[in-house]
Amino acid sequence: MPDNALEAVGLHRAFGSVPAVDDVSFVLPEGGSLGIVGESGSGKTTTARIVVGLERADAGEVRVRGRARATGGGGRAGRLARAREVQMVFQDPYLSLDPRTSVEQVLRETLRLHFPGTDHDRRVRELLDQVGLGTRAADARPRQLSGGQRQRVAIARALAVEPAVLVLDEAVAALDVSVQAQILNLLADIREQTRIGYLFITHDLGVVRRVTDDVIVMRRGRVVEAGRTSEVLAAPGHPYTRLLLESVPRPGWDPAAIAAARRAL
Amino acid sequence: MTPTRTPHALDVQGLRVTLPGTARPVLDGVDLHVAAGETVALVGESGSGKSLTSRGALGLLPPGATVAGRIRVRGHDVLAMKPEQLRALRTDTVAMIFQDPRAALNPMRRIGDFLVESVTLTRTMNRADATARAGELLQAVGLDASALRAYPGQVSGGMLQRVMIAAALMGDPELLLADEPTTALDVTTQAEVVALLAELRARFRTGLLFVTHDLDLAAAISDRVYVMYAGRIAESGPAEALFARPRHPYTAALLASTPRLEAPGGRLAAIGGHPPDLRRELTGCPFAARCPLATELCERQAPEQRTAPGLPDHRAACHHTDRLEGSPVDA
Repeated sequence: MPDNALEAVGLHRAFGSVPAVDDVSFVLPEGGSLGIVGESGSGKTTTARIVVGLERADAGEVRVRGRARATGGGGRAGRLARAREVQMVFQDPYLSLDPRTSVEQVLRETLRLHFPGTDHDRRVRELLDQVGLGTRAADARPRQLSGGQRQRVAIARALAVEPAVLVLDEAVAALDVSVQAQILNLLADIREQTRIGYLFITHDLGVVRRVTDDVIVMRRGRVVEAGRTSEVLAAPGHPYTRLLLESVPRPGWDPAAIAAARRAL
Repeated sequence: MTPTRTPHALDVQGLRVTLPGTARPVLDGVDLHVAAGETVALVGESGSGKSLTSRGALGLLPPGATVAGRIRVRGHDVLAMKPEQLRALRTDTVAMIFQDPRAALNPMRRIGDFLVESVTLTRTMNRADATARAGELLQAVGLDASALRAYPGQVSGGMLQRVMIAAALMGDPELLLADEPTTALDVTTQAEVVALLAELRARFRTGLLFVTHDLDLAAAISDRVYVMYAGRIAESGPAEALFARPRHPYTAALLASTPRLEAPGGRLAAIGGHPPDLRRELTGCPFAARCPLATELCERQAPEQRTAPGLPDHRAACHHTDRLEGSPVDA
C-alpha cells in the first residue's frame, strides 16, 4: 500500500478555553489535493499552521509519508528536514519575500541551505521555468513584480526543497480573476508533473471545485463534513455546507434568505 | 437641469484624469450614471480605474491630477465645488463604504462617537438627535443600540461593516459608494451585508454604486453593470444581458476565467499577458494585445462605444463585437 503524503489524526488545539481545533483528522494521498473550507474562526488556518509546524497541537499527530512529524528538536538539521516535508504558500507573497533579494537569489539561498555543495544553476532555471517566470523576472526585486508573479516566486521557492506536501493558505485569494486562473492552472500542472500533495485552505468554493479531489468543511474547530469534492458540492449533507454553497453569489441569488438561514443555524 | 426629470444620483461624462509622470490617462473618457434608487456595479481588475472613478463622485481625486469631463451629483457639478460645498456634499449627499472597516475607524473611540461626529461637526444635527438617529440606524442594520458604547475592537468584522453602513446613512445620502464592501467578509456575512444594502436602498431610494472585482456578485445584486479596463469602460448594460451575452471580448474572457461551482472541471481559460503599462502611450484598443479577436485596426484606432442590436442600453467598445458570438472567447 502506498504511503499517504499527509495524515492528521485527532488534532486538538485550544487558545485559553476556546477550542480552535477540535478533533480534526484527515488523509491526503500522495499526489492528491485536499481542500479545507470554512469561514473566519473555523480553525482552518490553525489546522494548516499545525501541519506546517508554526503552531503546536495539544493532542494528536501529523504524519508525512507515514512517519510522525517531529514537533521540534534535532537542531538545524532537524528544522531543515521538517521544512523538506511540508512547505507553505501564503496569501500575500509580498510579506513573505525579502524586498532586497532578487528572485534568483531567493531560490539560490533556499537551494544552498537544503542542498549545499552542489551546483544550482540548472535547478534555478528549471524552477523558474516550472512556474512560468522568464529570465528578466529572475533579476527583479519583489516590488518590481506583479502580484501573480510574486505568487509564482513563492511557489517556486516552496518547490525548491521538493516537499511531500504544499500547504496553500488562501494563496490565490488576493489575485485578480484573470491572474488567479493562471495560478490555478499552474498549480494543476505542477501537481501532475511532481506528484506533490496539496493542502488547500480557502473560503472560495469555486476554487475548491477546481483544484481539489477531496474536501473537509470546518466550523467552530470541528470537521462537519468530509468527502469527495464533487460529491460534497453536488449533494451537501450538513446544513452548514448547504449554507456555504447557497451563499455563493449567482443570478437569482437571495441574500435575504441566506441571512435568515444563517441566523437559524 | 430640466425640471421635468429628476437628475441622476450620479452622472459622469467623459471623465479623463491624467496623473503626472504617466504616458496615458488613468481614466480615459469614462461615461457612467446611477439613477435614483438604482444599483449599479462597476467591475474591473486592479488598476482598471474603478476605485478612482467612484472616489471622483466625492471630489476625491489624486493631487496633481489633470481632470477633464464632468461629474454631477444630483445635477450639481462636483468638479466646480468650493471646499465648503465639497464638505457639505460629503456629509449630506454622498457617502462611502470602504473594504476594510477597521482601517476607517479610530480604535480608541466608541462606535457611537464615530456615528454622530460627521453630522454634529457640520451642525446638520444636534448631538441628542444624532444619537437617537444612530441608535435607529444600528437597529436598521441589525445591531443593538448598545453597540453605540462599544469600541471597534470589541465587535467582529461583519458587525463593523454594518456600523460603517449605518455611518454612511447618517446624513440620508442620495448616493452611496461602496468600494469592495464585502471583499474582506466571509461569504455568509457577505450575503447579510448585501441583503441589508438592498433593503436600505428600497427604503431610502438611495442610488448605489457598488465597486467590485467579483463578476458573479455584480451579476447577482445589480440592475446595470459597467466593466472597466485600463481606465475605459469596455462594456455596460443590464446585468442579465451582459453576463448571458457579453459584447466585449474582455468581459467574455473574465467570465471564462472565473472558477465556478456549476462549470465543468479542468483548466480555466486564463487571460494571457498583462494590462497595458501606464508609462506607455496607448493608440488603439487597450485590450488588443491580449484579445483573440484583435486585428490591425484594433492596434491603430480606439473603438467607439457601440450599441447591441435591439438593446440600446447594452454597449461595448469593440471593433469586432459582432464577431464575438461563437468565437473562442465566447464561453
